[in-house]
Amino acid sequence: MRRWTLVAGVAVTAMIATACGSSGGGGGSGSTSAPVTLTIWHNYGTEQNATALQNLAKAFEKIHKNVTVNVVSQPATNYFALLQAAAVSKTGPDLAVMWTGLFTIQYKDFLVNLKGKVPAADFARIDPSALKWTSDRFNATNGPYVVPLENQFYIGFYNKADFAKAGVTSVPTDWSQLFAACAKLKAAGYLPLTYGNGGQPLGAEFYPWYDMSYMMIGAHPLSSWLQLYSGQLPWTSPVNAAQLNTWSKLHSSGCTNSDVLTKTNNLGDFETGKAAMMVDGTWDTAKFTGALGSKVAAFVPPFSNTPINGVVDFSGDGLSMTTYAAHPTQALQFLEFMTTPQAAGIINAAGLIPAIKGTSTSNPVNQEMLNFVSQDHMTVYPMLDNVVQPNVVNTGSKVLPSVLNGSISPSSALSSLQSTLGQLPSNQRGNSYP
Amino acid sequence: MSTVTAESQAAAGHLPGRGRTARSRLARRRRRAGILLSLPAVVVVVALLGIPIGQAVYYSMTTWNGLTSTWIGPSAYSTALSDPTFWRVLENNALLLLSIPFAIGIPLGIAWLLHEHVRGWRFFRSVYFLPTAVSWVVIGMVAVQFFALQGLLNKMLSAVGLGSFQTNALAGQRSALVALAITFIWSMLGTNVIIFLTGMATLDPTLIEAARVDGLNRRQIFWRVTLPLLRRFVQFSFVITVISAFSALFSLIFVMTNGGPGFGTTTLEFFVYQAAFALGEFGTGALYGIILFVIMIVVGLVQLRLIRSAEGEGW
Repeated sequence: MRRWTLVAGVAVTAMIATACGSSGGGGGSGSTSAPVTLTIWHNYGTEQNATALQNLAKAFEKIHKNVTVNVVSQPATNYFALLQAAAVSKTGPDLAVMWTGLFTIQYKDFLVNLKGKVPAADFARIDPSALKWTSDRFNATNGPYVVPLENQFYIGFYNKADFAKAGVTSVPTDWSQLFAACAKLKAAGYLPLTYGNGGQPLGAEFYPWYDMSYMMIGAHPLSSWLQLYSGQLPWTSPVNAAQLNTWSKLHSSGCTNSDVLTKTNNLGDFETGKAAMMVDGTWDTAKFTGALGSKVAAFVPPFSNTPINGVVDFSGDGLSMTTYAAHPTQALQFLEFMTTPQAAGIINAAGLIPAIKGTSTSNPVNQEMLNFVSQDHMTVYPMLDNVVQPNVVNTGSKVLPSVLNGSISPSSALSSLQSTLGQLPSNQRGNSYP
Repeated sequence: MSTVTAESQAAAGHLPGRGRTARSRLARRRRRAGILLSLPAVVVVVALLGIPIGQAVYYSMTTWNGLTSTWIGPSAYSTALSDPTFWRVLENNALLLLSIPFAIGIPLGIAWLLHEHVRGWRFFRSVYFLPTAVSWVVIGMVAVQFFALQGLLNKMLSAVGLGSFQTNALAGQRSALVALAITFIWSMLGTNVIIFLTGMATLDPTLIEAARVDGLNRRQIFWRVTLPLLRRFVQFSFVITVISAFSALFSLIFVMTNGGPGFGTTTLEFFVYQAAFALGEFGTGALYGIILFVIMIVVGLVQLRLIRSAEGEGW
């Protein structure tokens, strides 16, 4: 009997010792010297953001010798579904790329509010307008869920050489000038404006919310955008319908490629100079400057009856820590690292615009975008798809491309958006952001 | 006058006393043994099907996102049923059902030709079976290339002087649905040809021979002898094809159109995926899944009814 008691005592002691050992080594939360593999998921594909993230990881590994950063590229088309499923089973990453705005709010159940987790001094280095879009009620004092990676512009790119050869002497600033430029470019043998699902391959068709953002800039002041969220300003309003109607004429008048819904190589068209314009974002700036050098420049998509006076400048994405992160200490260290000048340098080197105060961009085309705000004093707008309900965004992503293609009428598409909005519970379409 | 013996009464279960008691005890033991033996299977079915279905019904009335849920109640269904997009999606399902006669008729014709041993029938049998051996994802990718603006279909039209009919089939809502239906018909070709070939192989050749002696030509033999005898195989093929049209088109849609343009090729099955895995609304996904489940039950019962009534039986 005594022998059995002794054996049991040894076994219990061994189990306790093993448990202590595994919690110290495996959890990583207490120790900062034990080897740790930090996992980061992203949906960047081959964008410049992917380069920036990889280089951030390498730099972080040099500082924290015991940490290996495993950067995992997930498919963009169902990235958030994967992230959510992983959160349910708690098998996801320590850190994950997260879109800001209402995307963050939608997924905040498995994201850590970083207030008090990341030192306030680190957050103080970040552009405050970037932080607010990652916080509850879009108020940074509520604490951000995301450390922004960069400031992004939805923006137009144009080929200066194509413009010159076609006799387009000034950059169009409204619909009529855009159609006039299209006519000249077409006559000169260029494809004026190319559309396709290249760039951000988020679905089978092109992502329409870059254009939709500018159509709504052309239609409404910034203060009215909340009303699109609340439903006070119906999607079906005549001014919206008129904007979409004019937009669809880009296709019917031959200003765009005919296969807008099925084209995949639109970036190739622009990089080779075959297409003169493209609506895209800062994540492809470096690609374009690499291919076209000084021929490429930025312009504000002029989807307005009057000269366009707003530009989409928004910190659209960053990294979040998951609530179930296996290595929270190292994950928070990585987030803190993202706020440093060294990180800003890495992000800039990848051709992006760091979201850190006092830093600049060395890419001249990115600088042109910043100048729209700092010199031309254009109103800064958020990305429309980040400040309207994800369900509405999803419906828009399905129906809006067909409006440009001419296979769905503007009124029908807008009715779909309105109907989707109407299906949402009232707490998802209130007079303030959640 | 018959004599009632103890044995016959015992056999009929009428015998009072010890024999009856022993028999009822045996029956009870058998019943108990039967229950015990079937219990594991019942537990497995309840655990793997009953509980998840019950959970799905519950979650369909919540705003479950995988982590948190809020109870809405049955009004979730009335809200969903008032959504015009939902009805648009059901319309797509209904339109796809129009492809069923083609998905059965074409393989039936091909199987008949192969059964008649036309020249090269062995080669063609392999060719027609090919779609069954190819993944639906691959079929979808090939179909995208085939129907593309610069694809094979338009090149063929151009080559035969029908260039004016060239179209970007996947860019129009209705044309994309037609392209999807054609691809579906092709996908089902191999399976259905094999079903019908197997059926024809089971036919008694003397019946065909007798029909021939009676003066029927090939076509008459097919319509009057072969087809009626193949009824059970046609029914089986019908059931398989209808179920596939409702619940197996996901990969084709995902690869070819992603449900677009607009909601032009979104079926209820794809809608479930969209709600649950694109929007992260698992509760809404469960709701549409339950509706799909109910529709499939109704379709199954209707099929059963048709089959039974064709056989002269009721439900």
